[in-house]
Amino acid sequence: MTFHDGTPFDAAAVEWNLKRWIGLEANNWMNSSRLYAGTDIVDDDHVNVRFKEPVLGLLQEFAYVRPVRLLSPKSVSGDGSYKAPVGTGPWHQATAGNEGSAFERFDAYWGDKPSFKYLEVKVLPDSRGRMAALRAGDVDLIGGAFVSPLTATEAETLKGAGIDVVIDPGTTTMIMAFNTSRVEALRDPKVRKAINLGIDRAAISQVLYRGLATSTGNLFSETVPYSGKRFDVPRRDTETAKSLLEEAGWVGGPVRQKDGKDLAIELVVSEEQVPGSRSVAEVIQSELQEIGVTLTIRSVDHASRHSDIPERKFDLAFFQTFGAPYEPFGTVVGLFLSTYDNGVDGKLFIDPEHLDPLVLAAMSAPEGEMEAALQKVYDWLHDNDAIAPLLFVPGIWAHAARVKGFQSPATEYDMPYENITLAE
Amino acid sequence: MFAFIAKRARNAVLLLFLASVLCFALVVSAPGNVAILIAELRTPTATKADIAKVEEELGLNKPLLERYGFWLNGAIHGDFGISYKTGEAVGASLKSRLAVTATLVAGGAVVAFLLSLFVGFVGALWAHRAPDVVTRGSALLGASTPSFFVGALLVYAFSVTWHVFPTFGFAGPVSWVLPWLTLGFLPAAVLSRVVRVGFEEAMAKPYVLTAMSKGLSRTSILVRDAIPNIAPTYLNALGTQIGTMVVGAVVVEPLFAWQGIGDLFLTGVRFRDFMVVQACLLVFITFFIILNVVVDICITLTDPRLRLQRS
Repeated sequence: MTFHDGTPFDAAAVEWNLKRWIGLEANNWMNSSRLYAGTDIVDDDHVNVRFKEPVLGLLQEFAYVRPVRLLSPKSVSGDGSYKAPVGTGPWHQATAGNEGSAFERFDAYWGDKPSFKYLEVKVLPDSRGRMAALRAGDVDLIGGAFVSPLTATEAETLKGAGIDVVIDPGTTTMIMAFNTSRVEALRDPKVRKAINLGIDRAAISQVLYRGLATSTGNLFSETVPYSGKRFDVPRRDTETAKSLLEEAGWVGGPVRQKDGKDLAIELVVSEEQVPGSRSVAEVIQSELQEIGVTLTIRSVDHASRHSDIPERKFDLAFFQTFGAPYEPFGTVVGLFLSTYDNGVDGKLFIDPEHLDPLVLAAMSAPEGEMEAALQKVYDWLHDNDAIAPLLFVPGIWAHAARVKGFQSPATEYDMPYENITLAE
Repeated sequence: MFAFIAKRARNAVLLLFLASVLCFALVVSAPGNVAILIAELRTPTATKADIAKVEEELGLNKPLLERYGFWLNGAIHGDFGISYKTGEAVGASLKSRLAVTATLVAGGAVVAFLLSLFVGFVGALWAHRAPDVVTRGSALLGASTPSFFVGALLVYAFSVTWHVFPTFGFAGPVSWVLPWLTLGFLPAAVLSRVVRVGFEEAMAKPYVLTAMSKGLSRTSILVRDAIPNIAPTYLNALGTQIGTMVVGAVVVEPLFAWQGIGDLFLTGVRFRDFMVVQACLLVFITFFIILNVVVDICITLTDPRLRLQRS
């Protein structure tokens, strides 16, 4: 087995690649890097990687797209800086530029070779441009929530034009977060429950997502390992929601008040971060108005969201779980453990006193007890209405008629060309 | 005339300096922290320490005046700094993309010029008759239609339905046609009204009556006598429209996946890539200022009254 440039893929190459990222402080967010203890080359075909303690999800982490890479040792400059993408995969890069990249099949690939010889990846920043290119036959495949997202409406348009559309249930969940540290009213679980009951998830799924998204009351979809028992999807019940708000002391109308203060909350929305969220926010705004809650929508761009969310400058905000391959611990630890610095992603809900011990217990539980420990986290979030899960975000792909055998990739970071054949 | 050009050049330099201060101030006062975005690019779950490190590396924690001075000095020497996002020299990125935007704006300007003259001329030739009503209606429609919508319609008709032109790309003249039409359509509509109204005013002048009494046709009067008379007004409007085309490129380039300065600017804004945004703004402003100077000179050259006054 060799790299694209003919360099042997052996134990020395693997060790060289590992040492480019493993054990470095910047990669401590990965258990495998944080607990790394050293490597030993056994022979040409074997490397022992030692860790300070057993690593949860080791193989999963070794499959991450970054920073884990297996590059040819000759693909870097003398100072170790990255020079060219020379790997062992089924494609080798022929050209690369601002407009896109072209790849040729690597005929010495060790696994099943692709059925076609040439692959072009084009940069088309505008979703309407991508749709037009597909319909005109200028491209064969578009989609994927991470690569080139298509909205449900766009999917319907393409379907109507006779284009093959593939819907993947996805592994991410769209959730509305409550910031209890900024808004006193949200510290009361009754208010959070009232908001949860004020939202018509079924309508959002059916109307805004054209029935392509599944509404939920869970943190994770069943496609995620250890996703826990299924909770009932909260059904919109304005009478119960109003009663809960009355019990919580928020009375009067049209905007409820308590101690002379309006029940007015701000929802931060970023279309770039969570596509389609602006429309969802507008629906929720109108629905909550009916139960006496005034919702102000603040639209921000990608950069502003990345400042405001970690600094907790929001009352309510939309989040998405990380999705495969990072689940369930990517979200459970990253978005809920208050002591874990999650950088730009911020925190969905934090409660150092009650939630942190449950998350820590799940993290350190032996494999046999992990599922039960995670369930305790899910139960706590559910019982306290700590979050408002809305729907599972579908992965939408569309392809030309000549593309046969397309299957959605396991994660949003994999290119789904493996099973594709082209009918001429 | 030389004194006039020198005065305009001096004013242009002063304007450029003020514009550079303004665009720097606008960019740094925008919400969002670029250090967070860069730290996230380097490490999916960047910590506060990672973010602080990036701020230190890029000098984002230095006083604003110091940052401005450093940037301006570099820009004067052609060094616009390093892109926060890609790590590439911004000057090199601008250079590689300049040809794309220049092709787009030049083509759009030619479309606007030819189409506006044709439509305006047809309207004037058959003034207050059916062709005039049709061209006036088309101009009103064209001036009210945003570029992205025109582009979408053109792509749907010529690419999706008839397969005449590609939907995207910068691969030769065939792929340039739709972006040129998209960019030039709105300015053409506006300019055609300038031509039409200008012709109407010119044709009401006494010299037209004299020309007609000499037996000249309406067409030859329009070409020989009216065009030179509407030239200053038209050039002024054309200059303004070409200026707005540079802004239009920000919309048209992503639509057709052209990797020009408009696309670079848009990406820079989204990423808070200050170095890229500042450099692009400076390029746009410089273009506007130079265009204005050139238009001023052209107007002076075409109008003997102004020539006399300014000399």
